[in-house]
Amino acid sequence: MAKKASPAADTTPPTSSTTSEQVREPAEVRYADQLEALRQHDQEAKPRSWRLSPRAIMAYIVGGKPLSAEINGKKREVPITRKFFGDDSLVERAIVTLASERALLLVGEPGTGKSWLSEHLAAAISGTSTLTIQGTAGTTEEHIKYSWNIARIIAEGPTPQNMIPSPTMVAMRGGALLRFEEITRCVPDVQDSLVSILSDKAIAIPELPDANMIWAKPGFNVIATANSRDQGVNELSAALKRRFNYIHIPIVADQKTEVEIVQQRSGELIAQYELPVKINPPILQLLATVFREIRQGKTSDGTSIKKPSTTLSTAEAIGVALDSALHAKFFGSGAVSPGDVARNLIGSIVKEDTEDLNVLKEYNTLVARKRALNDKSWKEFHDTLATQLG
Amino acid sequence: MRNVLDAADLDVDALASQVDAVLNDDLYWFPVRHHSAAVARCLETVISERKPKVVFVEGPAEAQELIPFVTDSQTKPPIAIYSSYRDDNNVLGLAGIASPAADIPPRFGCWYPLLAYSPEYVAMQTANRIGADVIFIDLPHHALIKRSDKTSALPSSVSTDAPDTVDRKHSGHTPSDELIIESGFYQRLAEVAGYRSWNEAWDSLFEITNADAEQFRRELATFCLAARLTSDPRHIQNDGTLERERHFLKTIRETLSRRKLKPQQAMVVCGGFHLFLDRDDQTAPPPCPEGTVYTTVVPYSYFRISELSGYGAGNRAPQYYQTAWELMRSGREQDLLPEHVVALLKRARREGHATSAADGVAVTQHARMLAGLRGRATPILDDIEDAVITCCCKGNPDDEGVALRRAIDFINIGTKVGKVTSKLGRLPIVHDFFAQLSDLDFGEVLGHERLVKIELDKRKPDEERRSVFLHRLRFLEVPLAVLTEMPGTEASSGLLFRERWSLKWNPKIETHLVEQTLLGDSIEAAVLSKLHEMVATDSQHAGVTCAHLRRALDMDLPHLVVEVQAACGSAVDADAQFVSLGSALGHLVVIDRYAVYRNLRRTELADLILRCFDRACFALPDVASAPPEQHAGIISALQSLAELVLRGDRDDIDRNVFSSHVRTAAAQSTVPFLRGAFLGLLAELREITSDELAGHVASFAQTSADQMVFAGEFLEGVLAVSRTSVMLGAESLVAAIDQLLKVAEWNVFLTMLPRLRAAFERLHDRQVDSLAACVARKYGLTEHATDQLTELSTSVAAAALLADIDRRVAEIMRKWSFS
Repeated sequence: MAKKASPAADTTPPTSSTTSEQVREPAEVRYADQLEALRQHDQEAKPRSWRLSPRAIMAYIVGGKPLSAEINGKKREVPITRKFFGDDSLVERAIVTLASERALLLVGEPGTGKSWLSEHLAAAISGTSTLTIQGTAGTTEEHIKYSWNIARIIAEGPTPQNMIPSPTMVAMRGGALLRFEEITRCVPDVQDSLVSILSDKAIAIPELPDANMIWAKPGFNVIATANSRDQGVNELSAALKRRFNYIHIPIVADQKTEVEIVQQRSGELIAQYELPVKINPPILQLLATVFREIRQGKTSDGTSIKKPSTTLSTAEAIGVALDSALHAKFFGSGAVSPGDVARNLIGSIVKEDTEDLNVLKEYNTLVARKRALNDKSWKEFHDTLATQLG
Repeated sequence: MRNVLDAADLDVDALASQVDAVLNDDLYWFPVRHHSAAVARCLETVISERKPKVVFVEGPAEAQELIPFVTDSQTKPPIAIYSSYRDDNNVLGLAGIASPAADIPPRFGCWYPLLAYSPEYVAMQTANRIGADVIFIDLPHHALIKRSDKTSALPSSVSTDAPDTVDRKHSGHTPSDELIIESGFYQRLAEVAGYRSWNEAWDSLFEITNADAEQFRRELATFCLAARLTSDPRHIQNDGTLERERHFLKTIRETLSRRKLKPQQAMVVCGGFHLFLDRDDQTAPPPCPEGTVYTTVVPYSYFRISELSGYGAGNRAPQYYQTAWELMRSGREQDLLPEHVVALLKRARREGHATSAADGVAVTQHARMLAGLRGRATPILDDIEDAVITCCCKGNPDDEGVALRRAIDFINIGTKVGKVTSKLGRLPIVHDFFAQLSDLDFGEVLGHERLVKIELDKRKPDEERRSVFLHRLRFLEVPLAVLTEMPGTEASSGLLFRERWSLKWNPKIETHLVEQTLLGDSIEAAVLSKLHEMVATDSQHAGVTCAHLRRALDMDLPHLVVEVQAACGSAVDADAQFVSLGSALGHLVVIDRYAVYRNLRRTELADLILRCFDRACFALPDVASAPPEQHAGIISALQSLAELVLRGDRDDIDRNVFSSHVRTAAAQSTVPFLRGAFLGLLAELREITSDELAGHVASFAQTSADQMVFAGEFLEGVLAVSRTSVMLGAESLVAAIDQLLKVAEWNVFLTMLPRLRAAFERLHDRQVDSLAACVARKYGLTEHATDQLTELSTSVAAAALLADIDRRVAEIMRKWSFS
């Protein structure tokens, strides 16, 4: 279904003056200063309708040097922060794809930052990340193309004014990017309505004989996301696959980066929940270690262990960190301990398959117990987890 | 670039004047990187234009005599100059340290691979064409071998490293490249430009350049000087760079003086890093130690030159650069991208990955745009690979992209094998083979296609050497010997040391040996290389790696044994497959028997066995319902574990861990055969009684016909692992089977019969006798009565007829393949 449709052809980015009473602001609002600073310094050629050149977009996503820029009439230095942690070449490939004939499909495990990257790409390229369709089993072709104001149709018949454009149509008219979230949740018939949009770059409106085609302006393209866990549920047709370049977003590769992400994001969330709790770096280190080792099925010293059926993404680790903080605040001593991590770990790992309990049990027996001999944190983690597992 | 130079604390003006000084020297120096087609192209132009009388090339001085064979028209790259050194009189004091024993002279060898576009090869060919002499100026590799100081063991790298050529430490780079990569200048440059690898940096900066030869020379020289000035001086001092450069200078000066040539009449072709050697260094290069030096030229292959082979010869895609070289020479550089992409997609289709012409278009467009975004005028290999993955891989490259990656590797590397002129004579490995046949008294098999059978007792030194040699040939698949009887597993019986072999001469032997030349110049070197490669390839498979350890012992490769033993530890930790771990355990137990005899480190071996056992126990439930094709491996692994537990000679082997996992597996299993095996094993461990086991068999009698037919499989599983429990619980087992057969209808019986037969065929004679005696007792037959049963009170003709019928039935049954 259509998640949010901007007014027709209006792809103007919201400014930083937009109300801050929202729970969450879109990327183009949150990072408006950085986008503006990059725009002011951007000397390179841009693809048609793009707000920034590919190299400036790259800098926006992976971070760069602080830039001196005039923001709201005042000159100041704007830091260009890193938005996406991972292999920079993935971002290069994504940007190049969006400048080419093909659409982009970001595929990966849940919680790997596909939507996050998609939002920032759309914000940097088109200035808006809100032209979005959220794919579900209930998404219909109307959500993708257009629908009608039924009351006015009955009164006046089909006219362009009575048509309700979809985010796709808005993006096409404005030469902007359409975001299609979780495309593989849609049934194949609905997915295939994208084929003509991607190949002809047009939507046919047979109900309007005098204006029966909407053509996309240069710059229009699609960024879709798909969860690799959904593969095989509503597999894309060969025709649609051919029109997409796939970029697989892997789970964060190194421990240091993962700790940084968990630290940064959990810190933001703890602040948002106004919790007077701080998670010390050794606890985060322990949490990241447990997640990495169970996820990879291998410990840092090379021992293979069983993997769970669930995906242990970095987002899950952030969730455990937040739950631990909440637990520590409301039921604990106020400081997050390794025991809090152990208590909140089970829910993240054991979800659909109770066999995953054995995964935790094996990890606790083979790995945590050994480390507990020389480390107090690991001992508390092991003992709490053993009690929880029974 | 200036920013990077500044950031690396380099004075740009001083740098430029230092470069000028070298480039304007009377003696013309040309910097190269090994296997660079762009360098080769410039070099070819320069040599052709300058027409020097002598070209000094950074090649092994000891192989000077081989240059005519390298440039011979019959020789076709890829080839390699091979140089080996044997310290016959132990002048380096490394016998017993770098060799298996104090009485065995240490050997050292190294390879200098050459491709059609290797600058050194192109320099030799071009010099040959214009009538110039080529002089190799590099220090012989054995002059760099450090003498033993008797307090420290030989550094492993010394034994096999060749200067600037093949680095066997698997770093993937030549030593010169390593110096550049470690330099502060390169590190800063890579950070600023976003280079992900040295290969990407090189290709971006030098391989796709349109610069003319002189401009190219200056750019490369400047780059190399910046790297040299920001390198760790200790590294340059320790890796032999200075000693080698002293040899360069000495050879050049002596040659010019001897031939009465002016510096302007010569030129030097060497690694860019060496262009800035200390010309005032008066120290003499180290002398070469006494010993036997052997050099030759051998055919090489693209695969061995590629980084994928694990030998780090400094070329990631030999075929790709070959295509680039050929197109460059025919003025069609712009065709490299489409030609490579088309070849790659064609190969991907053969590998089963669907790709279309539209994909080809998308890949070339994507590669060009990626190159633009990355600041390159033309796409390089990294851009092409990224574009192929982006446009053609519909999912995770490590999963859906496996066939595509295989195609990429195949096309990048190529399959070409070189050829060496026949004027060079018999290859060293063939020579070594015949010498050893003669030494070990195998002369009787030479040239006669007659089968010779021999029995060897490995406790006798002479026979041990023969066994080692035959194991090595077997490992190299040289079609001479077949091991007809393997050693037993018990040292006490003496059979542990006995082997039987069949030997027969085969005309394919010599051809096969020639092919093994790629692995080494002697049987031992080839075996070492091959096993080394296999250990690296199989590093994740515990069973296979432990089998390699056993091979290393059989082939008497003590240095490799240590390496493989370490690899076994990693493999055991990495592998979570029950069958593989069980197989590993089986090998380790046998190796443990050899331990004393082979001077193995038993403590480590014991730890390895324990780790393997523990991990196998945890992995056991995973195979509880494995498909039939895995059953044989599972039974074998179960037996290995059970044997260790039942022996009871190790306190650290936890019987409870094993039995609890067997119990879990039995409870989870839905496969009758495996459930029978797990329960049979529990009976063997006395975790359940024989009556309980028999109860499980008898329970089939209470089931419906469609379940009852599986009784045969269940019983086969029980008997596959049972040893003493069958003997001790024979009465209850016979009663259970009897109960089952009584209730089974004829059709059900016929269905279960083949597996029932197969089950009893697993028993040893003594077990069969024991069960038969029980059956007899159950039916009230005494020993005397059973004797009577066998008496035939018919005519001889009738008996003959019965025998004939029996024989025919047996034949029919055999054809049915019930087992």
